[in-house]
Amino acid sequence: MYIAGIGIVFNRGRGLVNLEKALIEGWVKPAPAYQVPAETITDKQVLKEARRADNLTKMATIAAFDALMDSGIPEQSKEKLGVILTTAFGPHVTTFGFLDDILTYGDAGVSPTLFSHSVHNAAASYIALNLQSRGPTLTMTQFADSFHQAIILAESWLKEKRCEYILVGSADQIGKVMEYICSRKLKPALDGKIKPFNCAKEPESIPGEGSTFFLVADNEKYNKYGSISAMPSNNKKNDPDLYILDSDGMCGDERLYSRLAKNKGLFTSYAPIFGSMLTLSSFSCAAGALMLKNQKLYACPIKENPHNFNILTKNETLSVHKIKCLRYNCYQEELIIQLEMKNF
Amino acid sequence: MADSKEQELKTIRKKLKELLVSHLSLEDVIPEKIKDDEILFGEGLGLDSLDAVEIVVLLQRNFGIEVKDMSQGRKIFYSIDTLANYIYENQKK
Repeated sequence: MYIAGIGIVFNRGRGLVNLEKALIEGWVKPAPAYQVPAETITDKQVLKEARRADNLTKMATIAAFDALMDSGIPEQSKEKLGVILTTAFGPHVTTFGFLDDILTYGDAGVSPTLFSHSVHNAAASYIALNLQSRGPTLTMTQFADSFHQAIILAESWLKEKRCEYILVGSADQIGKVMEYICSRKLKPALDGKIKPFNCAKEPESIPGEGSTFFLVADNEKYNKYGSISAMPSNNKKNDPDLYILDSDGMCGDERLYSRLAKNKGLFTSYAPIFGSMLTLSSFSCAAGALMLKNQKLYACPIKENPHNFNILTKNETLSVHKIKCLRYNCYQEELIIQLEMKNF
Repeated sequence: MADSKEQELKTIRKKLKELLVSHLSLEDVIPEKIKDDEILFGEGLGLDSLDAVEIVVLLQRNFGIEVKDMSQGRKIFYSIDTLANYIYENQKK
């Protein structure tokens, strides 16, 4: 399936212009987490029906809207437009707010609006309502596997002709509880640097948040950013031009990544741009798709490289056809999403 | 006595306006700009049925008042004035 449009909301802004700017600029010390600024998710036009929505929903609605606008698919296509939102933790900030209110005010004194927004599918419902899509709308959650599974599902929906177009994306949010858990269960990067190529037993992480959406279609005429597909495992004979590793410290032990160092092809990781997120692969795919379209490669933001990976050290214009976004989940299973641009 | 009641109503109205704006996430609405007699639902402030449920919660949390008879709701929730009067009357009991 082909990527026709991309929308992104992340700690350094909204849209592909800001994404490219961030990729060119490289690492900037997060303050202290990779939080999306409030002004990035205040769009009165897009969010006019979403005043009650939480930040997770706002990020997702804006990213989905931008992906649809970027795609240029006709207005009437909304009849056949599906939505798949993936999230590792859902609206946990709202959920914990709701639980806090039960403790403070008792069960009769909690906000019904807060409750209705604490369910995982709230954000996807807002997207469908906002964009008036008529196809199936679903939220998937499978921690680090979420986006990978969503790509598989989107491919099957298109093959079954359940939809002609699908908005497939991710959204995750930072919250106090999550920051506490990360600080207790994971090793925080005290210098502000996620080091993707350290392949450490106890990797360092810094929580991130944001949303990315892709408008995908089966029809090649919508091939704007190349094709996207989920791969069962890494075929060693089929080395890509570039690997984007999602080694962001969120899944614990990252020593397994070191075995990739001997592979041909260049390596990079944009975890130091986006922050640590179990749905990071969708952000990596956005960066990869942009590189395929622009035929430009953006340097690895953190260059610490004790295992001698062939990492991208500078921004350069280079012919690039195939990119693999690779992550090992918490069970050390390999998750690969392949991006490919055959004709350009 | 009348002065004291009016002073208390004034305080309640001010608090209500602030609570409505923050609790109902009313964008672009400044509490001070809401008129005391402004209609809350429909054409006035533009609140809807979901907001009505939130106001019930808001009254309970902030003023300790339960609106048990929702058939009275239309009258009570008409404007800031009617809401403030309802709070004043019921807080005193």
